Amino acid sequence: MTWWLLTFSRGGPASYLSHLDTARAVQRTFARAGVPIALSQGMRPKPRLSLPLPLPVGAAGYEELAVVEVPDGPPSPAAALRELRAAAPPGLRPLAIVVVGDQHPRPQALEARYACRLEGDAGAVRAAVERYATEVSVVRERVSPKGRRTLDLKEYVVHVAAEPVLGGTRLSFAIRYRDDGAARPQEFIDLIAAWAEVEPVMRGLERRRVIWRDLPPGPSPGAGRSVSS
Amino acid sequence: MYEIGISNPGLQILYAYLNDATPAAAERAYCPWPDMAALMRAYDVPLWTLETIDPVAGCDLWGFTLPHELTYTNVLEMLDLAGVPIHAAERGEGQPIVLGGGPAVADPWPLAPFFEAFFMGEVEHRLDEIVEALAAPSRALRLQALAAVPGMWLPGVSERPAQRQVFTAFSRTPPVLRPVVPVLEAVHDRAIVEVMRGCTAGCRFCQAGMWYRPVRERPVDLVVEAAERLLAETGCDEVSLLSLSSCDYSGIEEALTRIRALRPGVRVSLPSLRIDSAAEALGGFAADQRGSVTLAPEAGTQELRDAINKGVDDAQFEEAVRATFGGGFTGLKLYFMIGLPGETDADVAGIARMAATAVRLAKEIGRGRARLSVAVSSYVPKAHTPFQLEPFAGAAVLRHRQQLLRDAMPRHVRINFHDVAASLVEATLARGGPGSDRLVEEAWRRGARFDGWSEHFHFATWEGAAAATGIELGAAELRSDETLPWESAVDAVVTRGFLADEQARASRGELTDDCRDGSCAACGVCGSGVEMDVLP
Ligand code: SF4
Repeated sequence: MTWWLLTFSRGGPASYLSHLDTARAVQRTFARAGVPIALSQGMRPKPRLSLPLPLPVGAAGYEELAVVEVPDGPPSPAAALRELRAAAPPGLRPLAIVVVGDQHPRPQALEARYACRLEGDAGAVRAAVERYATEVSVVRERVSPKGRRTLDLKEYVVHVAAEPVLGGTRLSFAIRYRDDGAARPQEFIDLIAAWAEVEPVMRGLERRRVIWRDLPPGPSPGAGRSVSS
Repeated sequence: MYEIGISNPGLQILYAYLNDATPAAAERAYCPWPDMAALMRAYDVPLWTLETIDPVAGCDLWGFTLPHELTYTNVLEMLDLAGVPIHAAERGEGQPIVLGGGPAVADPWPLAPFFEAFFMGEVEHRLDEIVEALAAPSRALRLQALAAVPGMWLPGVSERPAQRQVFTAFSRTPPVLRPVVPVLEAVHDRAIVEVMRGCTAGCRFCQAGMWYRPVRERPVDLVVEAAERLLAETGCDEVSLLSLSSCDYSGIEEALTRIRALRPGVRVSLPSLRIDSAAEALGGFAADQRGSVTLAPEAGTQELRDAINKGVDDAQFEEAVRATFGGGFTGLKLYFMIGLPGETDADVAGIARMAATAVRLAKEIGRGRARLSVAVSSYVPKAHTPFQLEPFAGAAVLRHRQQLLRDAMPRHVRINFHDVAASLVEATLARGGPGSDRLVEEAWRRGARFDGWSEHFHFATWEGAAAATGIELGAAELRSDETLPWESAVDAVVTRGFLADEQARASRGELTDDCRDGSCAACGVCGSGVEMDVLP
């Protein structure tokens, strides 16, 4: 059995898809392209395809990853990529395929770089970013159906920068993924917006780059940016 | 609500034909959920089309598909969100002509003042004429040209009822081959091939069975080719062979066999199963498709089933239940109605008895833990059916019978009821006459939207609207010796005499045969170019 690591971008209308709908759109793209995906065992076999790092609804992703198991005797990755590009819906663009054996460890996200635009007083946003840099810890509570948990944003959100742009501030930051989870982009944006007293409304959230553990080098935009354990 | 709207196969037919075969450009807009509507109003954003993000108010013709009565307030909501005056009389040059279609136009009166025109019946073969009418240089001339299109009824303008249109070329025309494929999960997330139009089983409560007569079937070759192409081009892994009663489609077995042979592993779904042939049909399902089965006996006793012309007997029901549990299906859902004409408490107790039979059979087969549920809706008499003159059972009777069922239902059987209050509103609008529009408008002004969704349906709003307009909910004063309100708008072609005869047969408990088997019941539909068109 072979695994394909497909990198793709998501933007335009596809930015508004949920994680599950993005996975379905990728799977349907394979079906339309005539590129088979291996099926799971059991009463209701499911295509073996996963997107290891969900992208928030509304966000564009420059370099997303899908891990796909293909059955024996798959088409050549180059030919498959051509067909996938032709079959992809608006906003979804397959970029590259790296082939790995079934013994290869599944890639794990280490860090993702985000950028967005916050409207309102740019000076106040810059001050909030400077304050974040000087704080030792910024503990926030997360309430979810699973319960409450606290997390220290300083452990997860790094490389924060603010730059004035027309009508607001371009905020860029990186989120680190650890074994115990990660912060969500919105949690950090809410914090900065609250400190800067601007509306916590972000525009144009983008995930510009993801650093993966165990993404092998290949003809992918991720090549050279992956690290191996 | 895109997830629901995009699943409507009728809209896909219109969209494909208008864009592919006429000079018109058709775009779509759906009713936004109330939170979105509130934001649109707060930020002054008018309703837009999904294709070009242009304001809907700028189109030449705005067509609404009207599936049932509890969507009526959404029509006013959409017009208002678009900045289009809700009353046709207040619209002028540069504003869209608003056209209604779909099954609910069988009685257009509750919406009449909000629309310039209604199209009665199947529209495929009239779309060219409609588009041509829109080329006229002024709004008045466009309306005049539209009025001349057969099937079109213009409230306050048309002097005669419009004749319901039948798409006689259905069998010779391929199904929609280039549908809009949603990227997010729709409620019906599958490729659709319409295999047959119309149904002549003759269930006396069923409006669709009367409205879409006669039966027309597509050749198996057309169906299989369409399924193959749609599966390849949409990427769906399931295809639905759609019709009002797909088990009655003459080519069903051949179509199922050929589609499964062409694409092994594909799931083929049939929207409904007939109890009398369910055992056979269930045997044809692949092992990985053995989920839950829905059977619709509709009524709890033989007498009442005969009265509604649902010719199913207890032996057939038991055979279907055995086939379900014996065949490894994971659950069984039984669908019934209460409030049918002539129904007694004893008929309702019969529903619980049938559920108990299913429980017993499941145990006998060793499937005592299988899921069994019973869904019970409240019957609402509809226009153009044999029961069109029957009174609505009323809230008190329906609530009493729901309680009877709750008490009598075997343990472990899940039971779901329709909200009686929503049925009361539906019953009022389903046979509303001139003036019933005031109820719709008043309810909308008081905040009614998405009335088909229990979380948005507020009976107090409708009660308030009824009190303000003096319209009694659930009442329909109709006389058999007078023209019925909907008869002044639409000639459904099924004759009043046939409907009256069927009503009389119902009261005597007499069955009427399915006319596809050769015994024409003279309903009035066939003749002058319209014929039943079934596979040899
Ligand atoms: S006219 Fe006769 S054959 Fe035609 S639909 Fe009516 S009952 Fe059936």
